[in-house]
Amino acid sequence: MRPEHWLYTIPLRLRSLFRRSNVEQELSEELQFHLEHKIEEGIARGLSPKEARYAALRAMGGLEQRKEEIRDMRHVRWLTDFFDDARFAIRSLRRTPGLTVFVAITLALGIGMTSATFSMVDGLIFRPYPVPHPGNVVSLVSTTHDDPYDSFSYREYLDIRDKTNSYAGVVASAAMEAVGFSAEPGTTPRIKGGTMVSGNYFQVLGVEPRLGRGFREDEDQVPGRNPVVVLGPDFWRHEFASDESVLGKTILLNGTKFTVIGVAPDSFPGMSTFGHPDFYMPLAMALVFTTNLQKNFFEDRDDRELGVKARLKPGATLEQARNELAVLAKNFEREYPSANRGRSAAVYTQFQARTIEDENWKFGVIFLILALAVLLVACTNVAGLLLSRSRARAREIAVRLALGAGRFRLIRLLLTESLILATFGGLAGIAIGYGVVEWFRSKETIVFATELPVAIPFHMDRRVLLACVALSVLSALLCGLAPALQSTRVDLVNALKSADVDVPGRKRLWGRNMLVVAQVSMSLMLLTASFLMARGFQHDLMEGHSFTKDHLLMTSFDPRLIQYNAGQTQQFYKLLAERMRETPGVQSEALTQNVPLGNDDFDSVAFVPEGFQMPPDRANFNSTMDTIDEGYFETMGIPILRGRAFLPSDNAEAPRVAVVNEHFAKHYWPGGDAVGKHIRLDSSAGAPVEIVGVAQTIKTQNMTDPTDFVYVPLAQHPVARMVLMLHTSGDPLQLVQPVKDVVHSLDSNLPMLQTRAYQDFYLNQAVRGPRIAIDLVGSMGLVGLLLAVAGLYGLVAYNVSRRTREIGIRIALGAASSNVLRLVLGKGLVLVGIGMVVGLAMGFALEQLMNSMLFNSGGVDILAYAVVVPTMFLVTALAAYVPARRATKIAPTQALRYE
Amino acid sequence: MSKPNDLVQGTLDLLLLKILALEPLHGWAISLRLKSISGDVLQVSEGSLYPALHKLEQEGWITAEWKQTENNRRAKFYSLTRVGKKQLESEAANWQRLSSAISQVIGLEEA
Repeated sequence: MRPEHWLYTIPLRLRSLFRRSNVEQELSEELQFHLEHKIEEGIARGLSPKEARYAALRAMGGLEQRKEEIRDMRHVRWLTDFFDDARFAIRSLRRTPGLTVFVAITLALGIGMTSATFSMVDGLIFRPYPVPHPGNVVSLVSTTHDDPYDSFSYREYLDIRDKTNSYAGVVASAAMEAVGFSAEPGTTPRIKGGTMVSGNYFQVLGVEPRLGRGFREDEDQVPGRNPVVVLGPDFWRHEFASDESVLGKTILLNGTKFTVIGVAPDSFPGMSTFGHPDFYMPLAMALVFTTNLQKNFFEDRDDRELGVKARLKPGATLEQARNELAVLAKNFEREYPSANRGRSAAVYTQFQARTIEDENWKFGVIFLILALAVLLVACTNVAGLLLSRSRARAREIAVRLALGAGRFRLIRLLLTESLILATFGGLAGIAIGYGVVEWFRSKETIVFATELPVAIPFHMDRRVLLACVALSVLSALLCGLAPALQSTRVDLVNALKSADVDVPGRKRLWGRNMLVVAQVSMSLMLLTASFLMARGFQHDLMEGHSFTKDHLLMTSFDPRLIQYNAGQTQQFYKLLAERMRETPGVQSEALTQNVPLGNDDFDSVAFVPEGFQMPPDRANFNSTMDTIDEGYFETMGIPILRGRAFLPSDNAEAPRVAVVNEHFAKHYWPGGDAVGKHIRLDSSAGAPVEIVGVAQTIKTQNMTDPTDFVYVPLAQHPVARMVLMLHTSGDPLQLVQPVKDVVHSLDSNLPMLQTRAYQDFYLNQAVRGPRIAIDLVGSMGLVGLLLAVAGLYGLVAYNVSRRTREIGIRIALGAASSNVLRLVLGKGLVLVGIGMVVGLAMGFALEQLMNSMLFNSGGVDILAYAVVVPTMFLVTALAAYVPARRATKIAPTQALRYE
Repeated sequence: MSKPNDLVQGTLDLLLLKILALEPLHGWAISLRLKSISGDVLQVSEGSLYPALHKLEQEGWITAEWKQTENNRRAKFYSLTRVGKKQLESEAANWQRLSSAISQVIGLEEA
């Protein structure tokens, strides 16, 4: 019945809204028609025309009243009233353009900052997966004591897929960061990012290819049998110019021919937050891509490379899924103790997965809190202004009330005004937010200095715009409600009697004072937070950065791109290192799996330190590690504190050795010397590795304090993808050509990746990001401070203008200017004091939060408060002093002539 | 709002729907019809007639059309919609139930 009902009602509503005059016209005509008949009837009964007319109107019970009643029947009354209010509000706002613009800008700053930071937080944790029914897609992860987000091996994935009942389907994927792509045979491969996926990937996630088809299950069953590839939408657009005939074409990935069978839709850029795969390959083709040369992807249960996601069956709960997987993980641990000792598994929702996988969201949240504080300060400011304005309008409001306007109706009118202000503010805020996001995106391309484009997940999309609208409405309520309530609570008699009606009821002043306290405290908190944040980043930049960055050239190689086997790879690096050392201009040479503070995660090593009492519940410890050659420590300027660095004699035949950092040595052998001790790999029964040296601790990853670190020699631990670092006395980029020549002489097909001066890379990677963050929080703090200053200034100035007459009388009676100053300034300063105490408390609370989330520095940063508190006090005192000073200049004659 | 004093609430709607189910009429004719068929028992003030009609129109139960009357004047004629027909049926059924229940209560023998 409902839809049919709308067939009649919707046109009526629209008509009542948009053809209002027609509707009114018809209403009059209809009633007129009735009246005329009634009058005729009266005349027929013998009444005079005049009497008949009165009788007719009486029977109707008042024409205008009926019309009002009928208008109420139209169900659009609230809307037409709103339009009337809006028209009125715009008119009255135009009468005070300066105030209007100031308020709109203030709100715009708050809304803009909040929406920009919201877009970050949204992109990092909230935005749903780009698949149908994203809510029932969960992440399955392997967990250890140290790692709540580890991957599964291929064997484990198969077991999970086959032995669970909670899911409609379980998929696995592995992002391959560097895949050599060539569209034609014989061309030098270019580096692209692909993702290996299980055969059921697209089908389980519910992704329909825009062209061709997704993988069939049988294409992912026999290793190496089905070289098929599905292209990502952007990749297809850029590399193949959206050519539909790409289906069936052959492309080369890492030198192997793959047939294109489909193109993923635009709606599915990929499941990961940052990277959008250029193409998808079946897991069964893993041998073409696999990174770990020492493991067999299809067999080894500890070759953990797969991210596993699953779609919950209808009716299955998260709880069931968790229990099921926990049991399975226990079975793994029992059946395969060597690979799964101390390992468990977890099922995460999208939110959990994103927050656990990547910690960057915490910055987003802190920024969001700060931006909200800016918005709150802005709102209190606007509320203060509107309050002052409502005083000037007290008479108008009193007249309206006296004429019988309902209080609720008046509040609605006043709220409409602040809503319109907030709409302007919101629109400008969206523009500001858009600017900030674009600025950030442009910076970000500098920050992530990678070969592959990084997908920045921050957009001004529908969700963010919606948030903007919500924020605007919220701030309209926040800053409009209090003034509206207060200004409609006037004493009618007094208000109508005199022009200056500020009868200082306690309540009224209380509200205003609250605003100042809120402003001062918020700003203090903002300033403290931005100061702390700046110091935190500063601290992060100082600690563990004492290694060589200048005069270094870096360039990476990945011989898998041209199908080298492990032996060829080893040979290539050996020759490369030898030739480079002989190259003129090269002072020293190093090979390392990763550079410090790079984009790629360091590998992790599981070990048992010899002679260390293991806690009963764990089989081993984990540490990050790097694979390096003999020249690394010298080239990177990392001092060996005890023992020795690696030597050419530490080769594959020699006993296994390692160098640990000082942090590691102090951690496990706090009293003694780590040199000469052994660690055993994986478990206490694993291969022994002798620690031959202790290196100075350096920071290897951004935004984390230096941790345990193990170095192992390349000769004993072959790795395919390595970075060559060359130290020179001159411009490192001068070495690019000589390196090219050497590589060319070894194999002309091998591409050099990420060739750049390490110092540039380091600055982009480690310095620019924190600097941007410092700029961002700094500007928030500044905006907060400026708004508080404006607010306080406004308040004191308002007080002065309100008390002009009183002050004039005091001066006329002989009050010295110091007395007047004290009178006006005193209360402002008391409010500032209270605000600062509250702000300090909030600052402490936020500091605790920031410490627990970001910097782990603990304790209280006294210096921050020592700087922020006096600054705040001085600035606010000045803001109060300027108008107070003006009060002392009031000429009594002028003040008394006021009325 | 002016309420018909001696009409059970909601019955005016029912009456109007019923009258319009017989034939499309304009407001004046409806007021005459109301008076004549109920034999002056049901007094509907002319003031409450139009708000009631407009309410029914806004609910989608009746629809209005401007047409010529017999004496060549323009008037707003109301007629029942399909939705209005269903509404009339359900309201009439309700009324039947209610009135028979009340008659039963009134018909009880006093002890």
